[in-house]
Amino acid sequence: MTTTARALIAAPRWWSDLAGVAAGTSLLVVTTLWVGAGGIQNADRITSIGRLTGLWAADLLLLQVLLMARIPIAERAFGQDRLARWHRWAGFSSFWLMVAHIVLITLGYAGADHADVLAELWDLTWDYPGMLLAVAGTLALIMVVVTSVRAARRRLRYESWHLMHLYAYLGVGLALPHQLWTGADFLASPGATAYWWTLYAVSAGAVIAYRIMLPAWRNWRHRLVVSRVVPEGPGLISVYLTGRALGQMPVRAGQFFQWRFLDGPGWSRAHPYSLSATPHGGMLRITIKELGDGSARVAGLRPGTRAIIEGPYGKLTSETYGGGPVTLLGCGIGVTPLLSLLGELPYRPGEATFVYRARSEAEVAFREELEWFARQRGVRVIFLLGPRGDSWLPARQADLTAAQIAPDVARSQVYLCGPDAWTAAARTACRDAGVPDARLHTEVFSW
Amino acid sequence: MRRITLWLFSTVAAVVLLFSYRTSTNGGGPASVAAVAPAAGPTTSPDAGSPSAGSPSAGSPSAGSSGSGQTFTGSVAQTRWGPVQVSITVSGKKITDVAVPTYPSENGRDVEINARALPILRQETLDAQSADIDTVSGATVTSDGYLESLQAALDAAHLSG
Repeated sequence: MTTTARALIAAPRWWSDLAGVAAGTSLLVVTTLWVGAGGIQNADRITSIGRLTGLWAADLLLLQVLLMARIPIAERAFGQDRLARWHRWAGFSSFWLMVAHIVLITLGYAGADHADVLAELWDLTWDYPGMLLAVAGTLALIMVVVTSVRAARRRLRYESWHLMHLYAYLGVGLALPHQLWTGADFLASPGATAYWWTLYAVSAGAVIAYRIMLPAWRNWRHRLVVSRVVPEGPGLISVYLTGRALGQMPVRAGQFFQWRFLDGPGWSRAHPYSLSATPHGGMLRITIKELGDGSARVAGLRPGTRAIIEGPYGKLTSETYGGGPVTLLGCGIGVTPLLSLLGELPYRPGEATFVYRARSEAEVAFREELEWFARQRGVRVIFLLGPRGDSWLPARQADLTAAQIAPDVARSQVYLCGPDAWTAAARTACRDAGVPDARLHTEVFSW
Repeated sequence: MRRITLWLFSTVAAVVLLFSYRTSTNGGGPASVAAVAPAAGPTTSPDAGSPSAGSPSAGSPSAGSSGSGQTFTGSVAQTRWGPVQVSITVSGKKITDVAVPTYPSENGRDVEINARALPILRQETLDAQSADIDTVSGATVTSDGYLESLQAALDAAHLSG
């Protein structure tokens, strides 16, 4: 064991409660500020409520920017998959509140002006300060939301979807002027002014610091380059990377990076790959399955090619493991982070069980490494081979329980990684075997 | 041209065009004053465009007194929605008329709010004979500007005290 990663403490479980309460509090603060600025005014009930929905929408909009800002402490406490789920939830809520805001304000203003709704909408767009920008911002946000609806999301290539998603920043930015100039509540009191400017500054600052500056600095400092490319099995390729001062990089087994290889046109598309070996001072290894989405290019990488990274991300790490039995369940390419964990977890001989689900003997990779772990560290390695059935198990072994496969599972820390459907099924099987949620660790990659 | 270049260029162009629109760069601030200043009113002073809010010398007795009184014009009070200026007609230490030659009327909403609020403020001023009046709810910003300018006009007429 040559892990040089800094010891990271596990995030307590009440942190997620804290995050929820913080989000709720921010909505409450916004509501309080709105009440302080007049709340529901009898002359203009619809407009007053329209303002409140607008303020909530703005608040959630900024919160979801924060959720995706890759703030290290949030990444470690909650994991990117959970943050992405919250981001999605906050995003859609914010969107519908924004729709309510537009409808209510238009109706309210039209009622007060005795104008018809379309004329009012026209007047609002062209004559009110900052409103043309707000309309453009709304269109940008509508595009982002429409492309993120599941049906549309599936039809788009990840890279296209991601580029379109950047328009959300434009939308947030373009909404700001109308909040300052036409919005009655944004600058209504010193408290409101301070709150909104702080939230805007923190959101923008977090994005700049953690999505731009930190990755830039890390790449400059570590300068990763491809050292060699090794085929592992059918369609599987390992890439070994070296760099400067890799021992100082705060990366742990089980984590992943977003990778870009500077190997020619198309380099700008990032791919998430987990480390497939325990990171130690001099080297990182990733293993890639050819999925036809640009991942096949990896086979042609030349030694010396620069790699640009964002990360490390992910909380499928050993930080929650305090010794005792451990069970790792992997399916297909999902075994890669588990393999790196196998090298870092401080289990004793006989305590670890590694379950490897693959379609056939030929698809099993890393056989030598697994044999080494079995011999040297007393890991029980179990292969589940055979065509897919309805469950997480091969069709002909479908009635086995998790405890029959890995006898220690109920007392274990359990790490799961694989395709979504498989992971969900295996998770259920572990729960049925008596593993509490607190000891089940997964990371979802196909968001 | 590659698709990504096209998108990038279109986006930048759209943002530039958006910001060249008149409502996109001024928040109803001084730039919109000029259009509003020559509003109806008995004695709009021509220096309405130069905001000298707060200075006691701003109120100037106008030469042309309307009817049986002398007219004093308050300073231009800059508010969030635009300038407000009040002028009072004084006859024998008594305010006989109030006019608001300048008020925010950039858009339908301002016009609507002020059409409701200004008559109330005017009546309150005539009743109270001072600047010691209530603001109108729902038109707080205009009310504050009104009071500031009214006070300047009262000072100019040596009526405050």
